[in-house]
Amino acid sequence: MATTTHDAHDDHDDHGLAHTASVRVLLATGGSLLFLTLVTVLATKVDFGANLNLAVAMLIAVIKATLVVLFFMHLKYDKIFHTVVFTSAILAAALFVGFTLMDSSQYQQTNIWNPDAPPAAPYGPRPIVGG
Amino acid sequence: MTVEQPHAAHGEEYGHGHGSPFIQHHYDDAKHQFDSGKLGIWIFLAQEVLFFSALFVAYILYRHHHPEIYSYAHKYLDVKMGAINTAVLIFSSLTAAWAVRCAQLNQKRGLILCLSLTIACACTFLVVKYFEYSHKVHEHILFGRYFDPCVSSGGNHLLTRNNECPGSKTTVEWDKEKAVATAGCFADIAIDQDPRMEGVQASCSVAEITGAWEEKVSADGKKTKTFVEKSRKAITTQCPEEHFGHEASGETGHAKASYPCWEVTAQPAVCRPGWFYSWTCSGPVCLEESGSGGPFASQSACQEARSADAAKLKTQGTIAMSECLPGGASGVLVNYNDHYERGESIRIEADCKAPPAATETGDSFAEREQQLQLGKKAIAPAHKLTTHEAHELEAAGPPPEHTNMFFTIYFAMTGLHGVHVLFGVFVFIWLLIRATKGHFTSDYFGPVDFAALYWHIVDLIWIFLFPLLYLIH
Repeated sequence: MATTTHDAHDDHDDHGLAHTASVRVLLATGGSLLFLTLVTVLATKVDFGANLNLAVAMLIAVIKATLVVLFFMHLKYDKIFHTVVFTSAILAAALFVGFTLMDSSQYQQTNIWNPDAPPAAPYGPRPIVGG
Repeated sequence: MTVEQPHAAHGEEYGHGHGSPFIQHHYDDAKHQFDSGKLGIWIFLAQEVLFFSALFVAYILYRHHHPEIYSYAHKYLDVKMGAINTAVLIFSSLTAAWAVRCAQLNQKRGLILCLSLTIACACTFLVVKYFEYSHKVHEHILFGRYFDPCVSSGGNHLLTRNNECPGSKTTVEWDKEKAVATAGCFADIAIDQDPRMEGVQASCSVAEITGAWEEKVSADGKKTKTFVEKSRKAITTQCPEEHFGHEASGETGHAKASYPCWEVTAQPAVCRPGWFYSWTCSGPVCLEESGSGGPFASQSACQEARSADAAKLKTQGTIAMSECLPGGASGVLVNYNDHYERGESIRIEADCKAPPAATETGDSFAEREQQLQLGKKAIAPAHKLTTHEAHELEAAGPPPEHTNMFFTIYFAMTGLHGVHVLFGVFVFIWLLIRATKGHFTSDYFGPVDFAALYWHIVDLIWIFLFPLLYLIH
């Protein structure tokens, strides 16, 4: 069922179906992603303080993700509606995280045993009696 | 997207002059088919984001409340392997994107090459993952209650609940009645004590209390359980400083635990009063001779070794008790046999009295041989610990409580991601087969494009997983 009639067509950069990424863009994106991976590994070795280190790592991850989405996934050249679909998913996820964190202390107050008579610790801290 | 009926006959009617036989007749034209598929895959990708976001929520919530677990546990992970996998996935994303370009430009050979490279990268990723997972299985660095690591994240040996670590680890079976080991061999179990911490000496006495949990009902009807002591037995035997016994090689070890004794360790970094290590104090028991494989040449040689070991046992001793990092309580640990085996009805009471503080100062960390030793004065650190040193110190000790949650989350996230990679491999193999048959042309390359989009999302999730799991500072 395969046909060979497509051999004659070589110049398809302006084909109607979808945008064709140029080799230059592909290589530049791939290269930047690898470079940023190196940066993020090296950045953990520098002590900015726990929070700042996390922020740096996340910033780099977001930049990398943006590069992937824009160029590898062609979103930059794609229909705006696809961007809407994708960003709304991310917004929904952000709401999910945000609302959970708002009352995260809800999950901290569960005493599942009587503190006066804790069950034998299977592993971990255990009070020294009379210590 | 399956192609049940390649409507070759309709191709001419709809396409762009040289219509692909894979344009389905219910679409107006190639573009209509492509756009429909593309919208479909984007909606699927949006769903994938939401799907993974549940795990990210678990991660964020747990990290928010228990940062110490993350800073401890991530040291179990190998950054090198994670970084290699990140690079491999990024490269495969590049080849996947390039495959789309090749398909769009009717470059059949390029398409086959790109798809093959993508499959190869995906397989490499899975192989690296396999090595990571199998290492964790061997070391019992697993999820939930299966988390029972053989080493601390800093590399010190820990004796585990189940005594089943491979290699040089202890495997001991206990007779609960007699509190002696009945089978097994043992090797050195050493918890590195940190010489950098200021400390004082303490003399400890230890007792084993047998009792029972009794429920009491107070006036207002509240039930409380209290431990009621029935009998008490002082354990005067302290385990010797050096771990004695003879390196038992192979499965037929002759060395067996036989002396109930207690041991104290200073664990200033962890600084949780009452941390119990599972620990067995043991000397060789001379069994029947079992061939020539064991450490003793003869029965009499074994007896001799045993009595020599017994002589090393102390009846009393001191421990260097260190102060905690600012604000904490002291970190003396009293270990007696295996608390797991001890059961609920037996408690260990340890009473440690601290003599006056040491006055010497000096940077003992620089000279590693100045270890804390029983009966010797610990030395104050000459400098405040840097963050790095504090982390190193923390990693030397046992895992903080609930560290298993990190690995529950780790395995859920990387496992689900791994399943996606595996699925991607199958999809790309299917594409490769079709590509060799020349199915993909400039007016029919949807499947390649959609699979590539899926693959990019898998890459994208890994881009976040890598720093979140491996690169915690």
